[in-house]
Amino acid sequence: MAILVDETTRVLIQGITGHVGAFQTRAMIAQGTNVVAGVTPGKGGRTVEGVPVYDYVEEAMSHEPNVVLSFVPARFAEDAAIEAVDSRMPLLVVTTAGIPDQSTLRVLHHAQKKGTRILGPDTPGLVSPGKSKVGVHPDQVLAEGHIGVVSRSGALSYEICRHLVANQFGQSTVIGIGGGPLWDVRFVEILKWFEGDPQTDAIVLLGEIGSTMEHEAAAYISTSMSKPVISLIVGRSAPRGAQLGHAGAIIEGDQDTAEKKCEALANAGARVVRSPRAVVESLKELGV
Amino acid sequence: MRLLEFQGKRLLSMNGIVVPASTLRIAPEDLEELQYPVVLKAQVPFGGRGKAGMIRHASSPEQAIAAVSELKGLDIEGYHAFPILVESKVSFTRELYLAALIDKATNLPMVMAGAVGGIDIESISKKEPGTIIRVHVDPCIGLAGYSVRKLARRLSMEERSDEIRNVVERMLELFESCNASLVEINPLAVTDDALVALDAKIVLDDRAANSHPELFNRAEKEQEECGVLPSTGRKKLARQTGLVYVDLGGDIAMISDGAGTGLLTLDLIRDAGGQPACFCELGAKADSQGIQHALDIVLSDPPPRALVISLIGGLTRMDELADGIAASLTSRESSTPIAVRMCGTREEEGRAILRRVGIETHEDLETVVRVAVEGAEGIDGDSRR
Repeated sequence: MAILVDETTRVLIQGITGHVGAFQTRAMIAQGTNVVAGVTPGKGGRTVEGVPVYDYVEEAMSHEPNVVLSFVPARFAEDAAIEAVDSRMPLLVVTTAGIPDQSTLRVLHHAQKKGTRILGPDTPGLVSPGKSKVGVHPDQVLAEGHIGVVSRSGALSYEICRHLVANQFGQSTVIGIGGGPLWDVRFVEILKWFEGDPQTDAIVLLGEIGSTMEHEAAAYISTSMSKPVISLIVGRSAPRGAQLGHAGAIIEGDQDTAEKKCEALANAGARVVRSPRAVVESLKELGV
Repeated sequence: MRLLEFQGKRLLSMNGIVVPASTLRIAPEDLEELQYPVVLKAQVPFGGRGKAGMIRHASSPEQAIAAVSELKGLDIEGYHAFPILVESKVSFTRELYLAALIDKATNLPMVMAGAVGGIDIESISKKEPGTIIRVHVDPCIGLAGYSVRKLARRLSMEERSDEIRNVVERMLELFESCNASLVEINPLAVTDDALVALDAKIVLDDRAANSHPELFNRAEKEQEECGVLPSTGRKKLARQTGLVYVDLGGDIAMISDGAGTGLLTLDLIRDAGGQPACFCELGAKADSQGIQHALDIVLSDPPPRALVISLIGGLTRMDELADGIAASLTSRESSTPIAVRMCGTREEEGRAILRRVGIETHEDLETVVRVAVEGAEGIDGDSRR
């Protein structure tokens, strides 16, 4: 089982011939991911790690991809995303950081009309260990198992996964939804999918300052989750109004501080912890 | 980037929205040539200027000269050289509120309007949510004509619906064409013959800087000249090199290759009894050169008491970052104790590179934080002896 990606996933990579794209393609193939085609405008006819490269997404459709992963630089990322959406791909994962919000909202709007779901921008992607990796997660933090991990931050999810693996906990699926501040897939939807996934026994939700998503998650947990949720919210020591790394990580209102989010999640029945080590301790206590 | 009022008004005016006649020249001979009465406004990048005494009125050159010297004498921390915008006073019958922004709940652009202007929008949204009108904008269709007419009616401006439409459309054009995060006109004055923007708050999306080099360069240069943006020092260097840098006032500096782990590292520093000096994140610049820039920034004078480098790479390659750290640290003399946590893609290669230049790395983040906090305290202890 796992969610969103598994053995049946067939990946198309946009920006496959670039420095990052080629390196990460090799890493994904080494993990057993079925990378079926790549696209870089003007580079059609080449191969990268044995994967055929095309000029247009449409030309690669004969390989029947069902997920697109984009490494396209910010300047061209909107166009590449529109192209993937126009080919009716069900899931598009945009790793690119630094895309202006007005570009992102045009892409999200177009995708919503055509039925494409989007993770990112500014996401490490997602991985169901042992099945398929559609992203850039370092392999040493991954092991097949029963913990679902969802995060706004790539690095924070690696940090937690490293502790999980060191303590013999594996993951069902690890998902980065992106650094924000605009998201297509929000925390609640991921929680819903994990709740319905037989492989997932518990969920680790990694949040941060800014946005209202953790509050939405808290409301959902209190009414609709039967599986345990452990939550770490970072940015407890962040000052108001400063943008800290992610475009979405900025305290603007009085509800989007780490304290308020921790409070809401704890009241909803989630186990709220303060460090990666405490995530593992909490899982051990739960005996999952 | 938040524009100053005069910069925002320049953009409004270029896009056909009426603003009051104004000048930034405040020498006595310039003030004598104006039409009175005038309003004098300190150009600083925050709200609440009226309450803070930063907006003055004058009905003669003598009063204006006195107001200028009073404004210049205000002690506003960090903004000593702010310019003063002198505007002709506009007499109006009503004030409205108007803004364009992105609604993060729906991922759509949105126009907000209020029948009362000059108010604090956040407090009125809470107290009387009904008074603020919100209209979403379809990215393909734009704002439909009928919804602007409805908006005018709700503002009790139905008889001047065409003027409202004109201002709203021009505001939206500006919002889109300069990739703004916010265009706010508060208040928009209703006079007998025009709608006039009495204030302007425009926030640009920094990630669009490459698409609008002239706009951003001019705005930055002006803000540096008047001391709103630092023209030297750490923040300037961070801006030039594309890194995220936020001063936090403590003594333990922090560099990370991810936003979430950066925030976590700050929290752990606090939990361990330390005070973070800064948040410095490599973002899209997580390569050998990026981390060299980061080290240049955080180790510049005055140096921190300790430095935590918190790295866990997926997209980022540890061998590339290790090359950068090694090159930077072997070319400088720094007595700041540095604790490095290095994990992730190509970690073995990265650790080997650092070991060759005598830097031991740690695997566990909490250990690294403890080492740094103890290192900072150690310096403290030395200086006391």
